[in-house]
Amino acid sequence: MTLLLRKIIRSGIGKLRFWMAITGMGVAVLFILLAVQLHADFNQLLHGKNNANETADFLVINKKVTPQNQGQKEQNVFTETDIKELQTQPFTESIGKLATTSFKVSVESYSAAMPFYSDAYFESVPDEFIDVKSEEWKWSEGQRDIPVIIPSFFLDLYNTGMAMSQENLPQLSLEAIMAIPIKVTVQGNNQAAEFVGHVVGQSDRINSILIPQTFMDWANKQYGYRESPKPNRVVIKVKDPSDPALVNYLEKKGWKTNAEKTRFNRIRKIVNGVVAVTGGIGLVLLLFGLLVFSLFIQLTIASCKTDIELLQTLGTSPKQLERFLLKQFLPQNIILIVLALLFIAILQWVVTGILKTQQIILNPWLAVDTVIAALAVLAVVYVVNKQTISRYIKK
Amino acid sequence: MTISLQNIIPVPLRDKPQLQQSEIWNRQVDFNDGEWVKIKAPSGTGKTTLVHIIWQLRSDFTGKVLYDNTDVASIKAAVIAKYRQEKMSVIFQDMRLFANLTAYENIELKRTMSNTSFYDAAVITEMAEQLGVQHILHQKANTCSYGEQQRIAIIRALMQPFKWLIMDEPFSHLDKENTLKAVALITRECKKRNAGFVLTDLDEDNYFAYSRQLVL
Repeated sequence: MTLLLRKIIRSGIGKLRFWMAITGMGVAVLFILLAVQLHADFNQLLHGKNNANETADFLVINKKVTPQNQGQKEQNVFTETDIKELQTQPFTESIGKLATTSFKVSVESYSAAMPFYSDAYFESVPDEFIDVKSEEWKWSEGQRDIPVIIPSFFLDLYNTGMAMSQENLPQLSLEAIMAIPIKVTVQGNNQAAEFVGHVVGQSDRINSILIPQTFMDWANKQYGYRESPKPNRVVIKVKDPSDPALVNYLEKKGWKTNAEKTRFNRIRKIVNGVVAVTGGIGLVLLLFGLLVFSLFIQLTIASCKTDIELLQTLGTSPKQLERFLLKQFLPQNIILIVLALLFIAILQWVVTGILKTQQIILNPWLAVDTVIAALAVLAVVYVVNKQTISRYIKK
Repeated sequence: MTISLQNIIPVPLRDKPQLQQSEIWNRQVDFNDGEWVKIKAPSGTGKTTLVHIIWQLRSDFTGKVLYDNTDVASIKAAVIAKYRQEKMSVIFQDMRLFANLTAYENIELKRTMSNTSFYDAAVITEMAEQLGVQHILHQKANTCSYGEQQRIAIIRALMQPFKWLIMDEPFSHLDKENTLKAVALITRECKKRNAGFVLTDLDEDNYFAYSRQLVL
């Protein structure tokens, strides 16, 4: 009987109409699933670990010196309240204070071949915020040698500017700098002491001359005009330096940080907008897709309405008919959805392969969301199928 | 199985004067188990309407139709389907074959409609030979002549078990010779099942040993 029923129903649809509806439905399914997959890919691009240069980023923040506050040094330091507030912001992972020396420091060369003298200052920050890993980076009381970290732009400035401008000055590699001892004199509280400074590395992260925290604490106590100076800079560890919330917070406070790192937030806003629009289009497509589904089913059933009525007249039970009709439409839908999934899987695989050559790393497999969406579409198709069918069958 | 008609008046015939003379309209009529009932009716008196009312194809009437003393209007479609598969069969005046199926397939569809077939497939050919339509069995139904279609509809109706066979002018497209062949087949099949029938026709005839003849 099933074979004969199939013959009746199929002949009622008409081949052209059948293929048109199948195509329409296929396109709709494809669009829906494609939108979901795209959305998943965008999310992965924005939040995935692979695409961030580092898993975390460090930002050094200071208060802007303006014509109004330039005379009041004490106003441009970070108070405990400032630090606490910054610490509780959602984008802050951890926070470190940059302490500065509160005594006079001068550095000079031991070598007559390359004489120099300069007043200087040091800063210190907890070790976890420093991007230089060195065995020598430690100091304890009584030690004459002080390890020093210089900012990397320092050496660049010297080599590209200073050394080039003067006939007698040689260019210096980091290794050479590290081999040169520097005479460090500290004065304060009517005392003075001499130390030997050694550059142990250069930092890309913190633009300052750093000494170990232990030396800073000891020296400030010993020579400082104030014991624990308030930090005028802080360094924060953040997951995403382009987080618009971070940028807005700093702007509101009138604080400054490395603009380069936060600049990406503008692009990020645009990308967010694009993702939202894509999502919206996906949703519209979803609605259209569902419309096409139900219209297709209604059309198919309506086109063999007379035959369905005659079948009932001859004694086919509503259950028999319902089961049969469901079997007629569901397999096609399942096949369509599987084919669409397969197509998108291949597309994803190929496209991620191409993007990989441009350093954009994406999961080459289907997103779980897409598979869930496919199942959801299938569920909707089943419900629409069943409802449409039972509307045409007398009960 | 009893089929009862309680004061049926079809809405389109409501105001017709001949309703008064009818032995069926607006009366209590019971068709009892195994009765062979002939309903004679001139054109336009509602033969087909009556068959459609008995078969539950229309509801534009007043009164009640009862199957085994139950109002048909209250019987669920699933139960009606069971009646149509096991207790009642029908031959419509307009045949109602599936145009896209062959004659054979039309009969086979009915034969295999319920889970247990009443007859083997071989009976189809046997009956077709008896009625002289074996040569068109594999022709599409819509290419068969009315006479051939009518005989296919008769064979289709006989493929299932039944207690009642409802026939609406079943020989209208057949000549005398073919009518007699069909009558013989129907008689045999009804006797085999101890079944009754309701047959509507225009004229009087002696084709069957009617238990009752009514005028519509």
